[in-house]
Amino acid sequence: MGYGSTIKVPFGPQHPALKEPANFIFDVDGDIVVSVKPRIGYNHRGMEKAFELRTYLQNVYLAERICGICSDAHATANVQAVEELLGVEAPPRAKYIRVIVAELERMHSHLLWVGVAAHEIGFDTLFMYLWRDREAVMNLLELISGNRVHYAMNTIGGVRRDIPSDLTPKIKQTLDFLEERTKYYLNTVKTEQTILKRTVGVGVLTPNDAVELCAVGPTLRASGIKNDVRADDPYVAYGEIPFDVITHDQGDVFSRIKVRLEEMFESIKITRYALDHMPEGMTRIKVPMAVPKGEAVSRVEAPRGELIHYIKSNGTTKPERYKVRSPTLGNIPAVCKTLMGSHLADVPIILAGIDPCFSCMDRMAFVDVKTDKHWVWTMQELKRHTSK
Amino acid sequence: MEKEHEIIEKLKQSLKEDMLEARVPRDRRIFVSVKQEALKKALEFLVNDLEFKHLSTITGSDLGEELELIYHLAHKGSIELSLRLTIPESNLVVPTIIAFIPGAVLYEREVHDMLGVVFEGHPDLSPLVLPEGWPQNVYPLRKEEKFEELRKIGSK
Repeated sequence: MGYGSTIKVPFGPQHPALKEPANFIFDVDGDIVVSVKPRIGYNHRGMEKAFELRTYLQNVYLAERICGICSDAHATANVQAVEELLGVEAPPRAKYIRVIVAELERMHSHLLWVGVAAHEIGFDTLFMYLWRDREAVMNLLELISGNRVHYAMNTIGGVRRDIPSDLTPKIKQTLDFLEERTKYYLNTVKTEQTILKRTVGVGVLTPNDAVELCAVGPTLRASGIKNDVRADDPYVAYGEIPFDVITHDQGDVFSRIKVRLEEMFESIKITRYALDHMPEGMTRIKVPMAVPKGEAVSRVEAPRGELIHYIKSNGTTKPERYKVRSPTLGNIPAVCKTLMGSHLADVPIILAGIDPCFSCMDRMAFVDVKTDKHWVWTMQELKRHTSK
Repeated sequence: MEKEHEIIEKLKQSLKEDMLEARVPRDRRIFVSVKQEALKKALEFLVNDLEFKHLSTITGSDLGEELELIYHLAHKGSIELSLRLTIPESNLVVPTIIAFIPGAVLYEREVHDMLGVVFEGHPDLSPLVLPEGWPQNVYPLRKEEKFEELRKIGSK
């Protein structure tokens, strides 16, 4: 099952956390995509089975490692589910800290993605600027948790570290910087011809299709559907914090970029509010090791959309069943729909448009329906061909 | 939790004895069990009449003699209803629901991969997450499959 393609490393200290493989088979008629068949699973690790073998506490560690970019979303979904089974709630201060870490994660993820989108359309200067500015968020996450990835902030019953008030000035200073930069980027995407030409009207997902195909997150909201788990099914402290759910209604890649950039402003707003209204008190409560029989459905708005964890306990220290559905899987049917009828040249940016947790496939198979010719291209080859 | 109880009432009126049990453990969470034969009817009612248009995912669990399927649906992104049914291990077949929830297409494939459930009418139950060359009839989430054995198969 060799992948064979070269691994690209960007010019800089950052490591791309996003070059995961996936496979798509395209039926093409000349330059137009006629149908798409997705083939995923290259990173399938048997996590759901693994959860059954570990205690609830060990599973917090495991859940965080489902993903590197949205690890906190998974950790939050996990501990919430177990807390529900235990019939306990994390203390108010812990909930506010969970919000702050979750929003910082959303910010780093969205900046990462806009950079990737820029890269996909060949705008590498913008990509490097964005990833440079994203370092400000990574530095904050490291300041708060000690880590850039896998923050290990959540535990069953609360959070493992406090965010002491002496960190507030530094955090707020960084938020001010990020707000300035996001304004700049929003203005750039709205005025740069390079971006407009490649993203406006491209990869359109109608509101009807978005709903029928059960799309989630910014992809759904860019098609005008105003759903966001933080607002619709509030968890941690979101129910107490005012913010707007961002939508745009053109349903194209351009709208998906705008949604994510505008969500940055909301994340900044939420984080400032959380810092200003941080409750006093404990950051965690003690919980028993054995979890009573029961089941729980835990939902979180990860950067990519609705994340759902389902857990069933059998009264022992290990779960009976643990189910995870990540937002990217929820958007595959929608992205396949948007690929139909598109030009080959638009395939990379449309695929990137859902901000998948595999942003670059290493191999795509093509079938020309008229000549029945079959061929396989790497992403490099596709881009080279389509930029002729 | 008024809205949640209203929903259960309406569902009960539509499904009658096909609805086996229902509970509301907390705000915005409903769990309903239905008879196997009532799957399509229940889902159609939920989607078309009660506006549970979003399918979050489908969970399959091996209970031993039976297999449990849970369809997790959301009402306007808010109330999450988990619709449960059990099917006998001797006949792991249910109808596909992609005709009225197109977004179920990959979730059904995943349950097929992991547990061997056949979704009748699904156009393509080819492997979604399992690698090429994975032996047929080895369904990883069945309780009899042990992690060590699966790991050996996976590393070939």
